[in-house]
Amino acid sequence: MAIAIFFIAAVMAVAGGVGVISARQPMRSVLSLVVTMLALAVLFLLLDAQFVFVVQIIVYAGAVMVLFLFVIALLGPAREIAAGRLRFQPWLAGLFSLALLVLIWAMLQGIQYRQPESTDLTFFGTVQSIAIGLFTTYLYPFELTSILLLVAAIGAIYLSRRPSDDR
Amino acid sequence: MSGLDIGGSQLDASWFLILGGILFTLGAVGVLVRRNPLVILISIELMLNAVNLTLVTFARQLQNIEGQLFALMVMTVAAAEAVVGLAILVDIFRVRDLEDVDDLSELKG
Repeated sequence: MAIAIFFIAAVMAVAGGVGVISARQPMRSVLSLVVTMLALAVLFLLLDAQFVFVVQIIVYAGAVMVLFLFVIALLGPAREIAAGRLRFQPWLAGLFSLALLVLIWAMLQGIQYRQPESTDLTFFGTVQSIAIGLFTTYLYPFELTSILLLVAAIGAIYLSRRPSDDR
Repeated sequence: MSGLDIGGSQLDASWFLILGGILFTLGAVGVLVRRNPLVILISIELMLNAVNLTLVTFARQLQNIEGQLFALMVMTVAAAEAVVGLAILVDIFRVRDLEDVDDLSELKG
């Protein structure tokens, strides 16, 4: 059962990824990315990451992708020209990407798995276990994240001001 | 080879890792081939998602929660990156019509 779910979700994720890079309209790229994200959310659930699964759907597939859709609707239809200045660029990019894929695959062949720590799997990945990690050991990085979000919000507000606001 | 016992069936951790590698490569192809800056940002999001899958896979394999915590941090950084990147794009599009990221290679004051 889990194997079938994995392969269905994997095929959906790869199909969405191909859609992202092959769609002519940016709107379709975003919708393909939503498909990929939902498939990955299913895989997260398969990997006992319930909280990451919910955050992936609400924050990522919900909020961030809606932001992308709004910006695309704001900017109007895409005007991507057919050919770039470098004619050989797609071929070169394909070659280098193939090399990257081969490197990743070769790296995964030599991987040495460590013996898993014996944790209670019914507790693993729940909101409670995430919160214990986030608010005890990793409290400092967690607080730094809030500063990062504050800086990003201020930066976005500053960048999106009207030109006439300049003194 | 490392088996993961999920719901009674044996899945291998390397399947998830290879899927993450394929998605990361697809995102890299998008960044290199596409010339619409919006699609490049979307491809970067795809790459970040692929890395998240790898982190969660290792968290499950080691049965250690830290991988999932790091995945949550990656999501936060990705959200901040998307907000700032889109704000810069909207600002650029307001000044001039952009067809190609190569149009941004010249700085004019």
